[in-house]
Amino acid sequence: MKRRAFLISTAGSVAGMMLLPRMSFAAEGQIDWYTASDSNILDFWTNTIKPAFEAAHSGVKLNLVDAGDNAGIQSIAERAIAAMQTNADPQADYFEHADPRLPKGAIEAGLYVNMKDAGLSNYAKVNPLAIDSDYSLPYRGSQVLLAYDTTKLPPADVPKTWDELVTWIKANPGQFVYNRPDKGGSGGNFVRRAIHQVNGLDPKAFTVGNYTEAFGNEALGKAWDLLKDIAPALYDGGAYSSGNTQSIQLLAQGVVTMTPVWSDQVLQAISEGVLPETTGMVQLRDLALCGGFSRAVVLSNGKNRDAALKLADFILTEDIQSAILTELGGFPGVSWDYVSAELREKFADIIPTTIPTFPAGAWEAAVNDGWYRNVAPNIDRKS
Amino acid sequence: MASSVRIAAGEGRRPVGLLLVAVPVFLVGWLVIWPIVSAILRTVWRPQGDGGMGFDLSTYAFFFSDAYSLNNLYLTLWTTGVCAVLLLIVCLPIALYLRFANGKIAVYVQALAILPMFVPSIILAYAFIRVLGPNGMVDLLLNAVGLPKIRTPYLTPWGPVIGLVWDNIPLTVVILLAGLGSVSNMAVEAARDVGANRLQVFWHIVLPQISNSVLVALSFSVLGIFSAFTLPYLLGPASPEMMGPFMQRTFRDVNDPIAAITQAVITFCFCIAFGLFYVRSVARNRGR
Repeated sequence: MKRRAFLISTAGSVAGMMLLPRMSFAAEGQIDWYTASDSNILDFWTNTIKPAFEAAHSGVKLNLVDAGDNAGIQSIAERAIAAMQTNADPQADYFEHADPRLPKGAIEAGLYVNMKDAGLSNYAKVNPLAIDSDYSLPYRGSQVLLAYDTTKLPPADVPKTWDELVTWIKANPGQFVYNRPDKGGSGGNFVRRAIHQVNGLDPKAFTVGNYTEAFGNEALGKAWDLLKDIAPALYDGGAYSSGNTQSIQLLAQGVVTMTPVWSDQVLQAISEGVLPETTGMVQLRDLALCGGFSRAVVLSNGKNRDAALKLADFILTEDIQSAILTELGGFPGVSWDYVSAELREKFADIIPTTIPTFPAGAWEAAVNDGWYRNVAPNIDRKS
Repeated sequence: MASSVRIAAGEGRRPVGLLLVAVPVFLVGWLVIWPIVSAILRTVWRPQGDGGMGFDLSTYAFFFSDAYSLNNLYLTLWTTGVCAVLLLIVCLPIALYLRFANGKIAVYVQALAILPMFVPSIILAYAFIRVLGPNGMVDLLLNAVGLPKIRTPYLTPWGPVIGLVWDNIPLTVVILLAGLGSVSNMAVEAARDVGANRLQVFWHIVLPQISNSVLVALSFSVLGIFSAFTLPYLLGPASPEMMGPFMQRTFRDVNDPIAAITQAVITFCFCIAFGLFYVRSVARNRGR
């Protein structure tokens, strides 16, 4: 009898759940927000921005959704373009970070709101260094740095250029690790720094539109040689961690001495005690590792576009921008003049003058696949 | 009684029986068979240079001529084979012990053997990194007694092997145990009476009767291991990679759905081959 009662109640509740209305339409007053960033960003939005925004704008709710990765955001944007043609609801209003040039033709199709003309009251505060398109709103920055263990490597001896870094890696085999380039920006931008190194240290040589197979093979091929050259001196003879967090973990466990990290993640890890206070940070002097600003994008056909624009304006306020510095360890998206003087002084040494970037799109696919095919096949599976 | 019920249920009830299986059959057709057919069609019927559609095997030709893809396939086959052998070596003694032992300890052993079924593989991966990983617990313990460090299997092909074997122990043990249930105590005792030792009992009495269960257990776990994702993704080397992570990466990061579908069709063909073992042994059982 017990078994039968159990079956009946289970079947009943499953059937009940299937009858519940599915969330297939964007709810009124609920901003559908998507991110492809790491969980620390999602946590920051959940714990800091969402409560502050909802308190300031009654009746508006934020629905925070993790889209996984850039490809996830892309597919939602493609869905929104399709929805535009049929006048349907794209069920998306706001991308925490996206390149408005992707998918190709999205701007021309009118998918994204022109932020410059949208009448945001705080738009004038945005750091001009960070603006890259009228259709996106830079609101936080972060850069890839090298984090190292000062107990094993005194700050005076730390490598400060790419060549010094390569010399150090080879002199200390097994003490450096970076993650697979498609699984996190810290390793990804280390790979991109190598690409810059062999292409005349000129970040402007690469743009979203200038990828061709011939240019790609030539420009990337030289970088693969460079990375293959250092592979045997990496952790475990050429093993690569599977994400930003895993690299930090290897550093925290004292397995490696140095690894590339995102500035915000490493500051957070230190403040949470995951990494010891003795962790040092260094940026290469000849050309910084790539990084960049996260640029918010608002969809013009979203059902809650106006509320989403209010949100875009809200994140440029001094409170939120200060929280990005203090709680997230990122750079503000507004000019440093709009940050409190006290914070400005405290973070004086990480205020960047330039932040090199690397385009996404076809280049991203070429870098990801090329690295796996050319650099990674180093480890012997029988070992 | 049983036979009279069966007669009463005879001809008249047949449509009801068919109706009962209609839903699962429909679901299998819709969610499994149709996607397979459509995937195969999409990889062989592709747009041609002149704008039309045509029969085209170029993605398969690429896969089988591309050293990188083939390495991934070999690694997957290697991992599956090694895992199958290790599973048999680990699980057969456990199952034999559980079949012939009585008492409290056997209950605990059974509980331990079934435990991995209730541990999600992502948690297993994390535990693995903390215990067997670099400077993990094993390393610390070895260090404490003055032994040298081990070279950790984390990020080598042995990482996923260890994880996958642990993960598949419960299913294998349960299936083997079910097979051992059909071995009668009398047969074993009779063999003992005529002077057979343990090995002889196992080889001549037990093994012939459970060979079918061994096949079923292996084909089940092999199917799971061949298409495993989480453990190879978190514990394995960057390259070569197993088919699961390779497909996911080709689809999402390289933006090449056709190549990803091709890899999926090839994976599916291997799984069908393993599946046939299972079907054959079930059919053989029926024939008896």
